[in-house]
This record gives sequence, C-alpha cells and structure tokens, in this order.
Amino acid sequence: MRVELKGITKRFGSFTANDQIDLVVEPGQIHCLLGENGAGKSTLMNVLFGLLRAEEGEILIDGTAVNFANSGDAVRHGIGMVHQHFMLVPVFTAAENVVLGFEPTRSFNRLDHKTANAQIHELSQKFGLEVDPDAVVENLSVGLQQRVEILKALSHDAELLILDEPTAVLTPQEIDALMEIMRSLARDGKSILFITHKLKEVRAVADVITVIRQGRVVDSVPPTESEGELASLMVGREVNLTVNKEVTPVGDVVLELRDVVVRDDRGLAVVNGVSLDVRAGEIVALAGVQGNGQTELAEAVAGLRRVESGTISLRGRDITNLSPREILDAGLGHVPEDRQRDGLVLSMSVADNLVLNTPRRAPFARRGTRNLTAVAANARDLVQRFDIRTSSIDATAGSLSGGNQQKVIVARELSRPLTCFMASQPTRGLDVGSIEYVHRQIVNQRNEGLGVFIISSELDEVVALGDRIAVMYAGKITGVVEPTTSREDIGLLMTGASVVDHV
Amino acid sequence: MSARVDVTTPEAAVPAVREPVGRRRVIGALTIALGLFIIFVFGFGSAGGAHSVVVFNPINLSSGAPWNLSNLTVLTRWWNVVLGLVALALGVETWVRRPAGALARFGVGGVMFFLALLLWSVRQPGPAPIGTINITSVLVNSSAVIMVLIFGSLSGVLCERSGVVNIAIEGQFIGGAVAGAMVDSTTNSFWLAALVGIIVGALVGWLLALLAVRYIADQIIIGVVIVTLMGSISSYLNIQVLAPYPNLNLGNQPSNVAIPLLYKIPVIGPTLFDENMFFYAAVALVALTSFGLFRTRWGLRVRSVGEHPKAAESVGINVARVRYSTVVLGGAVAGLGGVAFIATQGQFQPGITSGYGYIALAAMIFGKWKPSGAVVASILFGVSAYLVQNLQNSNVPISTEFLTMFPYLVTIAVVAGLIGRVRPPAADGVPYQRD
Repeated sequence: MRVELKGITKRFGSFTANDQIDLVVEPGQIHCLLGENGAGKSTLMNVLFGLLRAEEGEILIDGTAVNFANSGDAVRHGIGMVHQHFMLVPVFTAAENVVLGFEPTRSFNRLDHKTANAQIHELSQKFGLEVDPDAVVENLSVGLQQRVEILKALSHDAELLILDEPTAVLTPQEIDALMEIMRSLARDGKSILFITHKLKEVRAVADVITVIRQGRVVDSVPPTESEGELASLMVGREVNLTVNKEVTPVGDVVLELRDVVVRDDRGLAVVNGVSLDVRAGEIVALAGVQGNGQTELAEAVAGLRRVESGTISLRGRDITNLSPREILDAGLGHVPEDRQRDGLVLSMSVADNLVLNTPRRAPFARRGTRNLTAVAANARDLVQRFDIRTSSIDATAGSLSGGNQQKVIVARELSRPLTCFMASQPTRGLDVGSIEYVHRQIVNQRNEGLGVFIISSELDEVVALGDRIAVMYAGKITGVVEPTTSREDIGLLMTGASVVDHV
Repeated sequence: MSARVDVTTPEAAVPAVREPVGRRRVIGALTIALGLFIIFVFGFGSAGGAHSVVVFNPINLSSGAPWNLSNLTVLTRWWNVVLGLVALALGVETWVRRPAGALARFGVGGVMFFLALLLWSVRQPGPAPIGTINITSVLVNSSAVIMVLIFGSLSGVLCERSGVVNIAIEGQFIGGAVAGAMVDSTTNSFWLAALVGIIVGALVGWLLALLAVRYIADQIIIGVVIVTLMGSISSYLNIQVLAPYPNLNLGNQPSNVAIPLLYKIPVIGPTLFDENMFFYAAVALVALTSFGLFRTRWGLRVRSVGEHPKAAESVGINVARVRYSTVVLGGAVAGLGGVAFIATQGQFQPGITSGYGYIALAAMIFGKWKPSGAVVASILFGVSAYLVQNLQNSNVPISTEFLTMFPYLVTIAVVAGLIGRVRPPAADGVPYQRD
C-alpha cells in the first residue's frame, strides 16, 4: 500500500504543529520519521491515524484521497498503529485486547473466544510473533506487550504500520528483536512508518529517513548519512554528541545504600536489597529498563517512599525514612523523574518554583512572612545564571518549554549547599540543546567535587555520563561496570544476566 | 474456551497484588474480639436459666404455610457461648495461619455475632417462653432492603465499569420513589410505575452523564449536587402535591407471586420464592448484568472504556457514547430501585431513602465492582439494617439513636478497613478528553 501525505497542516490555537508536511511511504518500505520531541512527529501520526483532524492537506491511499473521522476509519483503510504508550487494557487478556472493537460474536452478542484465539494463533504463526492469547496483558513483559500491540494492528489487516517511539521502553536485546520483526514485515510487503529520535536505530533499520523540525519537513535522506549529519538536521545546528569529561579525584562516600528494600504501591518488594555507594566527585549512573525498581529507589532516597528495611545514609548520617524536608536539609538535591508532577507546581510562578523547597528559610521568609523582594532577586539571579528562557520570573512554570522547566528544577536544586545530587531521567523528553546543557551542568557539579547519582533508562546517557554504571534488574543491582563496557554486556545485565568483569 | 473469560476475569488479573499479611492478622484479632464479646456479653451476660425461642414458621404468607417446623427453645447462655467459641476458634486460626480466606472467616464470625445478638435480645428468664425470634421473618423482611441495595449497587457497577462514578444513586432512588408512588396511586399499576421510575432514573442518569461526560465536571461534586436537587424536588412535590392530594400517595404494595413448588421449601421458600415482582426483577438483573458485562461484546467495550478509554478510542469505540448510554442505563436501574423501594415501604416521605443510595455504593465497592459481589454485600448490609430496626422494638438496653447508626458504621468499617485495597476500574471517575 502506498500512502501519501500532501500539505498536511495542523494548528493548536496559534501554534502550528505541522506545517505543509509532504510524505510518501512506498509498499514494503521502512520509512523513518526522525525529529526531536515536540517537532510534530506524533501530531502528524495522529492525523494519519484519524485521532486528530488536519486543517489543511490530504491523505492519499494508493492514489485515492481518504478522509478519517476517527481511528476506526484509518484501521478500515489498512493503517495500524503501535502507540508509544501501549493502547492495551492491562486487565484484559491478549486475545481480548487484539479483538477489541472488532470482536467476533455468537448469538446474544456473546464474545466468541474460540474464534478470537484462533485468529491470534493464525497471526502469530504467520508473522512469527508468539503470544499466549489467554495471558493477561499486565502480567506480560513490556516486549511481549508490544508484540500484542503489533498483533492488534496486524489483525485488522494493516498494510501500513505506524510505530511511535517503539524502542523507548525496550532493552537493547528487545530492540534488536523488534528490528528483526520490522524487517520481516517489510519483506511481506507491509509498509512501516518508524518514529524515533534515536539516531542509531534509524540508521540500522531505515530505507528512507525523513527529518522533521519545528513542524516542517527538513529533508529526506538515505540511512547512509552519518549520525552527526542527522543530528544537525534534526536540531538545526552543529551538535556535540559526546560529553567531555576530565579525570577528577574521587573523595569519600557521600551517599550510601545498604540492603535497601522498598515496596511499590501494590506491596511488592520492587527494590530488593540494593547496596550502592556514590563518592564525592564521581557520577554513578543507574541503568535499567523502566520499571525495574529505579523509580521506587529514587523515591525512597528522597524520602517520598518508605524504606522497608536497610539503610540510606548521606555522608555517614542515617537518613532512612526521614521526612523529605529533613533529607533535603541534610543536603540531597533531587530532580524527580516526572518533572511536571513532582518537580514543579505548574500553576505557580517561576520565581516561586525556584524557592519551592526553601520558602520558609531566610532570606525568603522571616517570622512566617514571605520576603518577596528576596524571592524575586533570587529568581532573577538564577534565571540569568542557568539561562532559563522565560518571558518573566512571574510567568507560570507551566508556560515554559520542557527544557526550561527542567532548568528551573536543576537551578533550584543546585542553588543550595549540597552533599549529593540525585537526578532521575534528567533529560527525558528534552531537546538536544537542553540535553547538552543539563549534561554539562551535571558534569560541572561532579568536577566541583559533588557526588552525583543519575538514574536513567537511556543507555546513551548512562554511558556518556557515568564514571561507574550500576545496572538494575528486577529490584536488584545485577552489576556495577566501567563506562567502557560494551553496550551488549550492559544490555545483558539489563535483562538480569550476570557479566564476569565487575569492578 | 469461552469459560476462560468469565466473571472472574478482573479478579484473576490481580495476581501480583500481595495481600499484606499484617492485615490478615488484624482481621484475626478482630474475629477473636468478636468471639470474646459474644461469649462474655451475650453468653455470660445472660442469666443461667434464660431461654430464647427460635421460630421458623412464617407469620403471614399470602399462600399460607405449607410446612410446619416446631419451635426451638434454647438455653441462651450456653448457645451463645458455643457461638462465641466458634468465632474465637476461627479468629485464632486466622491469627496463626493468616490464610487467604481471612475475610470469609471474619464473615462467619459476624454471622455468629448476629445470631447471638438475636438470641440475647429475646432471652426470657425462667422456663416459660415469651419472646421469640422468627428467623424466617427476619429474612423475609430484610429482603426488601436487600433488593433495593442490589438495584443501587448494580447501577453503581454499570456506571463505574464505564468509568463514571455514580454518586447520584440516592437521587435516582428518590426520583424513582416519588414517581413510582404517584403513578401507582393514580393508575394502580406497578408495571406503569416501574416504567415511569425507569424513565425518571434514566433522566437523572442522563443529567449526570451530560455534566460528567460532555462538560467534564467533577463527578463526585455533581453527583452530590444531583442528590440534593432530587431531595429538594421531592420535598417540593410532597408539600405542593402529595400533601394536598393524598390519593396520589396511597402507599399501595404489590402482591407477592409465589413460584410453584419452590415456595414450599422451609425458610428459603418464603424468602426467595414468594416475593413481589421487583424482587424477581432484581435477581434477573444481577444475572443479566453479570452476563452482559463479562460475556458480551457490549460488556467488553464498556469495560475497556472504564479501564483505558484511549485504547478504546484507538480501535474506533466512541468513548463518550458508551459512557452516556451506560450511565443512562445505570440511572434506569437505580430508578427502578426507587420504585421497588416505595413499593415495599409504603407512602412516600422526603428523606425516606435514608442514604441507601450511598450504602449501595459501598456495597458495590465491597463487592469489588462485580454484580455477584454486590449481591453478597447487599445481603450483609441489608440484614444488618433490618436487624437494627427490629432490635429497636425488643428489650435491648442500647439507645435507639445509637442502633440507627449501626448500618452506617458497618459500612464505614467495611469500606475503610476490612476489605483493604481493592482495585476499581482504572479510569473510574476520570473524565476523558480527546486531545
């Protein structure tokens, strides 16, 4: 199936998310859509999939113009989508998820599970995607859940498969497997639109790469283009893809975790006996696929989640299960994983957000009354020092871009005297420019002798920043390795295998 | 194959949730306390020679009693001590072994408590029996409240499975009750009353859906406001219409329909098989809702909308339409419940529903958002509500005001403490907006 997008324009209010976008996907082609977060890739795909309606432009399938009122229409026209956040009902079985919306039925509207299971079995066989139809989706691994999502798209006879950032939640091994699936689907004549911002993946699998920047198509290039060239197309300027780090002396242990056990909201011990040291002047990066307990571990260190057993100490002082305020006062800087939910009060001003964890202390308050002059002076100073792009210090934090929001948090945390700096997913969702900036700040802090603890599911980031890399799998540290360790070995540790040369 | 996905699907999907062992110990301790209370208050609190008489024959059956069971006269103290020991033993076992069925054991302890309470409340000194408990009439009379709670909790299950919290059940009860009283009084037909009650309930449900789905208002707040609105409307109608025209509020009751043969079963027969049309409708609705939600395409779609509306939309399901229709349906069920309520309680008065809509919601939570669970919970709440009313008439040295609190206290205890964390539909109460 040949799909052509012609002059697609999509506006949200005064903001133009897609501006006159042209794109052609040939049958059997793996077409990569490369662009930064916010470049308009997802908007374009939602238009193609009938979830959004474009103001201008048209969609042609095999030369005929089509009009999608909803995603059901798109599906009927042979378009399938594998969403970044899986569109699967966790408490349903794989079979129920695959047939949802297109259920085979018997008399009295009853679900026909026999036919449903047979359909899935047939698809699994045909495309080599084995899944137990009766397995409840939430009990499946992320890789298998994605398989269900792909089967779901294929079950509606999709000829064009849209994969929206499919690798974000996968281990390196699972990514390899996914790429193999993509290639085999393309060989069967299916067209694939692969959306990503990761340069390595694009070059590994694409037939054609279309780069989008600020809602416009910048260029279409072959996969032979170098990573550097792709990056500058994507960002619009020269980009330094590596982080420069000099060797610095390492000091005493500042953050010490001993046999830490933490339970998640469901009562499961998702952190199960973690021991780890972070020394002054080094960056320890905790790698691992999302959902292996890193989030809960970070929350426990910050005092946001109860530690079941074990101890956490900050420069020798036991901070286990102290209140978040006591832990912050003890010298922990914390950049939370979900910056909009846990890092900022979006409806409050930039200035207030910059004193969010020190509002009661002099000079920002005296005898229970806030000193707004001091708060404003502090804000002006930090906005300038950390290059926060905001219309004013009184603008709400919610009005800032993701990168500038993160800068507000980093500025707030680094403007206090710290013993240890902990950042969870510090660059998630940021543009390349902001990533560079945040990385530089983190390395600067380390060079000045601060202990830095980074938790990231981006392997590139972990390797670029970490002086030592700890890998977490299923609540345990499966290994602590040098940053020079091969990606394959780190990937293996991320799946729970053990590697010999630990440090 | 079809048996794979039955009513138990949502439950089977939570294997990873480990029930905290500490909570089971607490349940064990509570059961032990219950046992000790029974032994020392109801058991040794009764004089050594006191007797209680248990009666099984129904008082007045429309069909007459086709069977005769002789009365059972027991020594109150020792029977209650035995009942207490049963609860105590279960409690100790729960405390030591912390079994998965801790809550069920507590439930048995609770039954022991109610039985002992009944025996104690009718105890008489000396050998001559005067006071009696009639087990059959306890069950028959509780069945009216149980039926109303079933209607309400089914309404809750429907709405919440589609992702809309229906706090307005009480309002739908009130609407159905007023409409039912007036229609029945004028037409002398409970069929017509039921029809109008269903329409009124559906309209109240539609109002909730309009505000919740279309205007994305906070579901809890609008639900409460709707209840208040319906309460005010019913007061207005009462003063302006029902009071001046008493023949619009006759308080008729529907006659019972005995099911051949089955109604002859002792105790159970009069309770389950010699009931009015509303009771049979409630039973049928339980089966129908269970079948509809867990066996049909319609049910799969409703549940998908309540769990992950975005996923539903991505396969072409119209989330707003599903929610609208399900909430209207839920309102209709609760409206029918309102008619059923007035059909068994007599004349309408403002406030007569006395919060049963909220208790039905608690029954829905206790029943883990499943029709079958809602039935069990409705029985629990219904029997305790009836008993309390009944104890007010006997020689129990507890103030009436305190006793009337009891069903609500049971509700709070059950919802807050005993069941622990249960998992509602993931998108329950979360408005859905296309982005």
